[in-house]
Amino acid sequence: MELDDLKNTWQNETNAGSQNNLTTLIIDKMTKEKYYSKIKKIAYPEIIGSSICVIAAGFVALSFNRFDTIVLQSVAVVAIIVLLAISVFSILSLQRLNMKKDINKTYAETLKTFATQKLAFYKLQKINIILCYLLMVTIIILLPKLFGDKNITQYKYFWLFASGTGYSFLLFYSKFVSKFYKKTLQQTEDLLLELPQ
Amino acid sequence: MHKNILLKNCDFFYIMETNKISDNQKLKLVDKKERFIAAIKENECFIYKIASVYTNNIEDKNDVVQEILYQLWKSFDSFNQKSSLNTWMYRVALNVAVYQLKVFKKTIPTLPLVDHASHHAETNNNDQEDNWKILRQQIDALNLLDKGIVLLYLEDKSYEEIATIVGITKTNVATKLSRIKEKLKTQIHKNL
Repeated sequence: MELDDLKNTWQNETNAGSQNNLTTLIIDKMTKEKYYSKIKKIAYPEIIGSSICVIAAGFVALSFNRFDTIVLQSVAVVAIIVLLAISVFSILSLQRLNMKKDINKTYAETLKTFATQKLAFYKLQKINIILCYLLMVTIIILLPKLFGDKNITQYKYFWLFASGTGYSFLLFYSKFVSKFYKKTLQQTEDLLLELPQ
Repeated sequence: MHKNILLKNCDFFYIMETNKISDNQKLKLVDKKERFIAAIKENECFIYKIASVYTNNIEDKNDVVQEILYQLWKSFDSFNQKSSLNTWMYRVALNVAVYQLKVFKKTIPTLPLVDHASHHAETNNNDQEDNWKILRQQIDALNLLDKGIVLLYLEDKSYEEIATIVGITKTNVATKLSRIKEKLKTQIHKNL
């Protein structure tokens, strides 16, 4: 069996598909509103996540006077920057999804844009993981001061638990992400090479 | 007469839209809508099949169909007649399907693809069903560029039309198709 033999299968599917699924009314409705858009489904969790990051950054900023040493103050500044950066990245990736599509381009040009954006997205994911590691460290250092203003050196079990759990989770997460993206990343790079320059 | 039928079929927003403009503009809009609907009906099957091939479940498929129609309508005025209307529609449909991939990759698949299974069950044609499965498997294994070329080839488009839609040379189309055919031949024989 070859591709030409399968052409009939494709054509038959065409004939079978002519069941007037699209009525005038449906076509008209579809051109008016995005009633079935998935972007909204993605947007809500991203917006909630970004809002949490901004609130957390605000909370750390408001508690700034609790950090009495230069080290703690520097860590707090880093935590605020990281939290804001994560929310900005999230909003940027959402904006990219909502970006105006130039659908009149050729298919190859669209693929080039798609592949380039995909590679940029993976880079952003890598940065996000690094930021998460950094955030974990800063939050663990700031946490005892934020809740109760206690001396963290007294709580060795807290340290052990917080760093152990946080690190294991991030290690597992980063391994999963890189394994998941490795194949797709390679395919995307190959696709870019195949496209006319 | 025609105008009345169309207005009867259209929703409230459409009537509101047409009420804001002059009678002449209304007629033009109705005429545009009529041409658009006729063009969509002509290419309905391809739009549905593109949506099927680029997605993994019915929900995503419907999303792609809707997005294709939405984008086609939005750009219907900008169609510059450098190519035929059908060629332009094929290009837009393929482009939208690729753009939608970005959205789907961020969501978790919810349902397996069942539309074709149920569709074929209705037609009681097991051979067609098996062949469709083979075809889908082979198409899914291709990269996005090859996938687009094969879909247009299956639609009986000439090498020249494929080259126009995809944006590569005619010679390139021929070379790629020959390689794809060879690759698929080996894969299909391996799977049978």
